[in-house]
Amino acid sequence: MGGAVFKKKNIPLFAMISPVTAWLIVLIAIPLVYILAISFCSTNADHNIAFHFTLKNYIRLFDPTILGIYSNSLIVSILSTAFCILLAYPFAYVLAKTTPFKKTLMMIFLMLPFWTNSLIRLYSWRTLLGKNGYINEFLVYIGLIDAPLEMMFTRGAVILGMVYTLLPFMVLPIHTAIDKLDTSLIEASKDLGANFWQTFKNVILPLTAPGIFAGSIMVFIPSLGFFFVSDLMGGGNNQIIGNLISRQFKESYNWPFGATLSIMLIVLTIVCVRLYTKSGGKLDELGNI
Amino acid sequence: MKIVTKIFLFFVIAALGFFAIACGSKKVNNGEVNVFIWTEYIPESVIEAFQDETGIKVNLATYSSNEDMLSKVKASQTSVYDIAVPSDYMVKRMIAEGLLSELDGASLQNFSNLDASYLNRDFDPKNLYSVPFMAGVAAVVVNKTMVSEEITTFFQLLEPKYKNSIVVLDDYRAVIGAVAKSLGYSFNTTSPADLKRVDSAMALLKPNVKLRDSDSPKTAMLNGETSIGYMWAAEIAIAMQEKPDTFEVVFPKEGAYLFIDNFVILKNAKNFENAKRFIEFILRPEISAQISEQYPYVNPNKEALKLLPASYLDNPASNVPPEVFKNGEFIKDVGQSIEIYDDIWTKFTR
Repeated sequence: MGGAVFKKKNIPLFAMISPVTAWLIVLIAIPLVYILAISFCSTNADHNIAFHFTLKNYIRLFDPTILGIYSNSLIVSILSTAFCILLAYPFAYVLAKTTPFKKTLMMIFLMLPFWTNSLIRLYSWRTLLGKNGYINEFLVYIGLIDAPLEMMFTRGAVILGMVYTLLPFMVLPIHTAIDKLDTSLIEASKDLGANFWQTFKNVILPLTAPGIFAGSIMVFIPSLGFFFVSDLMGGGNNQIIGNLISRQFKESYNWPFGATLSIMLIVLTIVCVRLYTKSGGKLDELGNI
Repeated sequence: MKIVTKIFLFFVIAALGFFAIACGSKKVNNGEVNVFIWTEYIPESVIEAFQDETGIKVNLATYSSNEDMLSKVKASQTSVYDIAVPSDYMVKRMIAEGLLSELDGASLQNFSNLDASYLNRDFDPKNLYSVPFMAGVAAVVVNKTMVSEEITTFFQLLEPKYKNSIVVLDDYRAVIGAVAKSLGYSFNTTSPADLKRVDSAMALLKPNVKLRDSDSPKTAMLNGETSIGYMWAAEIAIAMQEKPDTFEVVFPKEGAYLFIDNFVILKNAKNFENAKRFIEFILRPEISAQISEQYPYVNPNKEALKLLPASYLDNPASNVPPEVFKNGEFIKDVGQSIEIYDDIWTKFTR
């Protein structure tokens, strides 16, 4: 009898959960295990994977060139995240405090460009920032500069591209945090004689910090891997980790080393998320935008 | 039990629905051909003409490197793609890996239109698996209004005075090969000593390269972003058509990178007959000429050449002189040395 009850209770449960579980196992767990396994392999003369154990790929991570690309990538990601915070915070604050009509309008303006493919939007920056682009032409015309500035195909351009592509991922978590902010706390702070900056520093900022953290994770991690941004805006001369991985799997036929680099990226991601949860962030809030 | 029955029924119905869709799409498949080809290589008008004439629907997918194509073909099931267009060395590799169907080129209609110098090459000695589509070379383009010095060799591009003013193909074999060639080595050198010197020369080229772009390198030349370019001659030909007095094509004295792109039919292709008809259609002189007018690569179809206008025939960038083909070199697999190439390229692009 007990068995029958158990079955009655659990068979529907299994039926509901197993498709998702199967999905996770087949499309996420198995490929990840495979990636981990081949990261310890080498390649043979035909450029196929040779299944014998080696640490060669992990040792190669400490090659100065590879380390150089890692440091470039980290600089780009850190600066992109910083600029995103600076741009997104005031916007999110106004967004949270404004009338519903203006709020809808601002949301539309924020999201509308993202209905266009990001490659096309990045290409349009070339027209604006190019040597003979509109911005240079305008600056020369008003006499501010004599010769066109080299703005495109620099590290600055890569960071601009990252900020432009990832800004909404910063705005939305900060907006959620500010929206949840209890206004009576701000009023209390004012009543106790704090000016705007003191209130901001001691009340608003600490209470919205989880939103900033969540947004930073959502900007920092993708910006390590968005190789198309570095290709289009940096002209391929400002490689990030994503470029390195993509090339190992394509032109260089070196899947094992590509796998090693992917594992390192996963490790880096886990470290970032651990830092986030250690400092009081909740994993729910990463998905809760 | 009721819930279980319902869930069971749900799955049965879902499965039936899935089969119905699968069978339905199979029926449409009879009149299809799935073509996997380089970006900017075949005009829409040619595809439409084929569909109108034969009633066979063409599903086009595109790629921008041989390696990209190979990994997608390997990763997909049979008959996702029927036709692909690999370059010479990639044909050889695909034959070796057993990815191609025998199509026996010589038995195809219109095959005799092809110039014999493009046939029976070492990558497919009897054209059993491949039929030449287009050929070409990588050449240097110079903006005459911005560069006063006459450029004749690739070696000159290493000079510091061209700092931040060159666009090159985002293709490591083409760039490393050209630098190797400019030092007097082969495009396919595997000698570590040679490659070490190539590496040092690449360090001279690096500050001169403003951007790498394989999709549309001519754009950077046309909008004045760069004054020198290293790209496919067909791209140069298009740029020259747009601004005839500005650009000049230079075939480096050291010898150029050559390629022949070929139609192949993939192993177990479901639409084998349709794929053959498609290739036969492209081999017609008037169709082949129509393609070259829009994308001016070197056309191996000698009957098509007779139909092409003077703008194609008189421009050395589209109608590449035969001696360039004589001096040039094809890419070959470099085996394990690819790791050294990858190292050089990683340093070059960091």
